[in-house]
Amino acid sequence: MIQLKTLLNCIDNSGASVVECVNVLKKKRPATIGDRIVVVVQKQRAAGSESSTTTALANKVRRGDIRHAVVVRVRKESQRPDGSVVKFGDNACVLVNKAGDPIGTRMNGIVGQELRGKQWSKILSLAPMHV
Amino acid sequence: MAAPLVRQLGCLRLTPSIQQPAIRRCISTIYSARREPTPLPSNVPEQFLSQLPTRLKKEAEGPKKIKIYPPPPSSRAACKDPVAKVTETQLSVLDPKGERKALFDYRRNPRSVKPGDILRVTFKNGDPFNGVCLSIRLRGIDTSFLLRNELMRVPVEMSVKAFSPNVKSVEIVQRSQIKRRRARLFHMRDRKHDRRSVENLVDSYIKQKRAFMGKR
Amino acid sequence: MPPRLPGKLLPLSSLLWGVPSLAPRIAARPFGIRSLNPPKPSRFNVGPGLPVLESTSTAALRRKANSLPLRSGAITTKKGMTAMYDPEAGKRTACTVLQLDRVEVVSHKTRQRHGYFAVQIGAGWRHPSNVKKAMLGHFSSQGVSPKRHVVEFRVKDESGLPPVGQLIDAAWFQEGQYIDARSNTKGKGFAGVMKRHGFHGQDRTHGVSLTHRSAGSTGPSQGGGSRVYPGKKMAGNMGNNQNTVQNLKVLKVDAENGIVVVNGTVSGPKGCVVRIQDAIKKPWPKIAPIVAEPAVEAAAAAAAA
Repeated sequence: MIQLKTLLNCIDNSGASVVECVNVLKKKRPATIGDRIVVVVQKQRAAGSESSTTTALANKVRRGDIRHAVVVRVRKESQRPDGSVVKFGDNACVLVNKAGDPIGTRMNGIVGQELRGKQWSKILSLAPMHV
Repeated sequence: MAAPLVRQLGCLRLTPSIQQPAIRRCISTIYSARREPTPLPSNVPEQFLSQLPTRLKKEAEGPKKIKIYPPPPSSRAACKDPVAKVTETQLSVLDPKGERKALFDYRRNPRSVKPGDILRVTFKNGDPFNGVCLSIRLRGIDTSFLLRNELMRVPVEMSVKAFSPNVKSVEIVQRSQIKRRRARLFHMRDRKHDRRSVENLVDSYIKQKRAFMGKR
Repeated sequence: MPPRLPGKLLPLSSLLWGVPSLAPRIAARPFGIRSLNPPKPSRFNVGPGLPVLESTSTAALRRKANSLPLRSGAITTKKGMTAMYDPEAGKRTACTVLQLDRVEVVSHKTRQRHGYFAVQIGAGWRHPSNVKKAMLGHFSSQGVSPKRHVVEFRVKDESGLPPVGQLIDAAWFQEGQYIDARSNTKGKGFAGVMKRHGFHGQDRTHGVSLTHRSAGSTGPSQGGGSRVYPGKKMAGNMGNNQNTVQNLKVLKVDAENGIVVVNGTVSGPKGCVVRIQDAIKKPWPKIAPIVAEPAVEAAAAAAAA
């Protein structure tokens, strides 16, 4: 249930840590796993830790940037075709560019399996784990 | 005064009082025998028979009896609970030996899964999911259990249908260490009571199991 | 009487063209002189080339021909909901369990006598002492037992009229075919506009007192006619009205127990009467030749005896 003003964790290494949803794309309902949204970066990751690995990455997004993102985890329970229900402890997303490719190169955190059905297998392969 | 001209307006007791006949009322009346009904003449012409009131008609010509037909055999009586019947046929396909049912029937089976146990579920596609069992929902074919775990520092909850054909196996990794006083352990979502990750426990269980199987 | 002509015009026109009928020629003229004797339509609306009337019962039946099912439906009772699993795909489908009980053909409605084709179907059983005499006579004359529920199912033509007294069991429907389920929704009683029509109600605060869930204004004053228009959405009885759920797939049929399991939900509480018939928006099911024919005849013979 991601909608206007929802704060999400950003789980890739693009430099954003907390983003705020400003729009849900292609549907009139709250977004769920696998939906594309527009976000504003609210909090950057600590620059020190980022610069220690790669300085280039830290500059990828900055506070106040408007970016597209794909929701990968939601608090709201989602039902699978076999009737099982999955829910996560937080709302999280991954930043993508206009073409739909992830901005970050690594992801830390699990993602929902619903991404597969919605053609986000690139994100799914980047993720260390999926449920 | 011309008295004879004026007519007298009224007078008291000048005219003789008229005796009203007293109304007679008695409790008993004189009995008179009921009139005998005149019997029908035996030779009533046929065209008059239809005009007779029904009470005078003969039995055969009395009010027509409506014939009631018996109902066909009832399928409702044959199967009182169709929902249970459908569920039964489903279970006979999905769980022919009744093992899965016994595994989650925590009210009757003492060896079943209990809330608080740590479970490992393996799905048909090979993905496992581990977690603490928070609740078991017994609803026939829709029987499900709720597992909670923490994967990469994110709490994940999964409610799995016990009879889903996608569930390959359910293993009890560890029984609950303490006596649980309630059937729904939703307080384990609170930070104070959270069990956090059970991955380490399950990993050691798998190692143990492998070693055990290898020895054999 | 025809209007009188100005004296000069008639000789001039007849002199110029000398044709007795003026009508077609005059119509072609660019300036506006109209025919003096316009052709009159026939007083009798018959003849070849006239459009066929559309307001007759025949035309109405023809219009309905494509949307009327070829065969009768059945009366069922909603028994509850459960789920079905596809063992291969592992897909779970929520489903509704319906049961047929002693569903029989009670009588026919025909084009000749009633103006349309329909099958009167009865279900269940009612004690004869609880049945009105008129209905009892109806059942008796048709040779069927007194029924608890009697409804009509319209069909396209006489080929869809099964013999009176025929038992309609669950095998009447095939697994995989689609049906329409018609039943009454759950009654909600007298409901306000917020529940009944989804109005937004009024503010909690800002000076609103005691009218937080009311409809507000029901229309304009003088400009709008100073009246409330018919059909204005207001508070009132909600639910317990007929609803049709279309295109439900038949997942399972158990003729022995009279069970039909359909995909998804059907309106109404458990135990309500549900009328099911072939879905009108799907291709008609391919009906196998009636196998139960000798059995029906035997039953009819037994009933007659």
